[in-house]
Amino acid sequence: MKKIFTLLLILMLGVLAACGGDDTSNDDTGGSDSDNGTDSGETSDGVQSVTAWAWDPNFNIRALELANQAYDGDSEMYVEIIENAQDDIIQRLNAGLSSGTTQGMPNIVLIEDYRAQSFLQSYPDAFYPLTDYINPDDFAQYKVEATSFDGDIYGLPFDTGVSGLYVRTDYLEEAGYTVEDLSDITWKEYIEIGKEVKAATGKDMITLDPNDFGMVRMMLQSAGEWYFEEDGNTPALADNPALEEIFVLYKEMMDADIVKLNSDWSQFVSAFNSGDVATVPTGNWITPSVKAEASQSGNWAVLPLPRLEVDGAVNTSNLGGSSWYVLNQDGKELAAEFLANTFGSNEQFYTDLVTEIGALGTYIPGTQGEAFEQEDPFFGGQAIIQDFATWSEQIPPVNYGMHTYAVDDILKVEMQNYLNGADVGDVLDNAQSQAETQLR
Amino acid sequence: MKKLKKTLIYLFLSIATIISIYPFFWMIVSMTNKSVDVTQGRQLPGTYLFENLRKLFDQVDMVTALTNSAIIAILSTVFTLFIASLAGYGFQMYRSKGKDIVFNILLLSMMIPFASIMIPLYRLFGRISQTAPIIGIDTLAAAFLPTITTAFFIFFFRQNTKMFPKDLIEAGRIDGLSEIGIFFRIFVPTMKTTYAAAAIIAFMNSWNNFLWPLVVLQSPSKQTIPLLISNLGSSYSPDYGMIMSAITIATLPTALVFFFMQKHFVAGMMGSVKG
Repeated sequence: MKKIFTLLLILMLGVLAACGGDDTSNDDTGGSDSDNGTDSGETSDGVQSVTAWAWDPNFNIRALELANQAYDGDSEMYVEIIENAQDDIIQRLNAGLSSGTTQGMPNIVLIEDYRAQSFLQSYPDAFYPLTDYINPDDFAQYKVEATSFDGDIYGLPFDTGVSGLYVRTDYLEEAGYTVEDLSDITWKEYIEIGKEVKAATGKDMITLDPNDFGMVRMMLQSAGEWYFEEDGNTPALADNPALEEIFVLYKEMMDADIVKLNSDWSQFVSAFNSGDVATVPTGNWITPSVKAEASQSGNWAVLPLPRLEVDGAVNTSNLGGSSWYVLNQDGKELAAEFLANTFGSNEQFYTDLVTEIGALGTYIPGTQGEAFEQEDPFFGGQAIIQDFATWSEQIPPVNYGMHTYAVDDILKVEMQNYLNGADVGDVLDNAQSQAETQLR
Repeated sequence: MKKLKKTLIYLFLSIATIISIYPFFWMIVSMTNKSVDVTQGRQLPGTYLFENLRKLFDQVDMVTALTNSAIIAILSTVFTLFIASLAGYGFQMYRSKGKDIVFNILLLSMMIPFASIMIPLYRLFGRISQTAPIIGIDTLAAAFLPTITTAFFIFFFRQNTKMFPKDLIEAGRIDGLSEIGIFFRIFVPTMKTTYAAAAIIAFMNSWNNFLWPLVVLQSPSKQTIPLLISNLGSSYSPDYGMIMSAITIATLPTALVFFFMQKHFVAGMMGSVKG
């Protein structure tokens, strides 16, 4: 019996070893198992490779694939693309960076602009500055602000989250409005029109998720304001006229009964796919989801975002958007050179991005050309890419700071208090003191 | 009166059944619809089943993910049952001075959330990778090693061992069986029910485990099913029909394991009555 027991133990160890051994042998990065444990490698034919993490197969992953094709630099190289959900990338990066292990980490990683500062500041030496590789003046100013830290630019600005007001022209017509009536308006006027549209068509004007503050962030940036002072750290929630106006407008929308509530992404998409709302103010990346409902072709148009009534507010803003970062480990020069050669300087590549996947970058020299003037029959022949490109140049730059999502969480609760009848000044004061204690 | 009572009970049970089965129904129906219909809440079977499956198998490597998940779940279950039952048996059957203190410390470890030991664990595996890359980061072994036995399973086996009659052990000793022989020849066959129940729990835990495999498995060739599904939802315009197909496929093995084990569950019960 003892023999069987020993045999079992040996068998188990064997299985364990086989299981692990199998994995390293088909490791496709070739020579990646070097002692310093990085992921850049060289295959047997001398072609070097770096790894990149990104999300969304139809957008970011496709962009990387195009970049692989477009690369014409000096090195023989390619990027091995690994697809991960955005939340998963954050989790993995945090685990890897905070344990100080570069093992298994990628060379290039896509990070959403709202989160960039928290990574750059929490792990100061983990990222490789791209200052020597790209010229910040080539990119939209608000993206440079989001990707820079301590005088260096760390991220190569990628897609714009430039926002627009997607409208159902047929509903507006039914209520007696034209597209011009909604261009260049304030949010106050927007709400008034919303009431008329609801009365005439029975459709809500907008769909909102009380648990997603994208709308608030978008409105806030259109006034050149953010949750923080310019240092990106001191909360600026109380005595912030823009934020206060947004709270008041949010409540007015709710009270006017022109809001269809949603509770997650699929309901959000469903709200406009099923024709339940007349307008969708959001980032330009929603276009494919809007177009997914082909039967609504010709009934949509994209207008500039309504504006706030505070000083400096404009009719354009940003929601989301992300940039490429290079991790400070072996292979960083190669990765940086790759990015600079493609996303950092190749105008033709940006044209391909627009024509092939409808991705709008923030590289200013790459935002002209025929591809941008293309008219989209789904939007009644409007050249929406051209319009978005124009608006994106006017987005006010703000410092997103380290704690955008933490403040989001505080404000969501305070917004409910406000909607339940509390005073707007009080709730923002509350939010301010909570933020000060929490984020110290 | 009696009839009315029965009707009410059945009515209540039927409602409870519908409520608990409805999500599964929706999942399976959504598998046959295209994305736009899913977001609009269509509850009728559609014609997109094969289209969804084709897209799923074209776009992602389901087979690899299923294989990885199966390897991890099966090995983890086998290790868990083996180690935890030995430990539980030992804790219950043998007398030792510090036994209860050790056991209490073990139980305390159940209170620590996994998220708080994740970073140290990752560091540990990072170190291991340098000396023994075959069980280091980004190997299937690393994905299940930390979960092969938890305090919960040791506790579970110890509690169940309490029901095991000590007389059987003494009879074995008199008959000249070694201690290990007693464990394998007497304890294991009698405790089939416990093993079956533990296997179901261990398999499901491992199959659905997300956080640790997520941080430790990086390359696509090591992806498990939950990671793959998480990736499918990552796009700005997710294809819900395809995601639902993937979820349905991912649910099947746990359901199968449960039904398969259920048979043994009953067999084990009968076995222990006879014994």
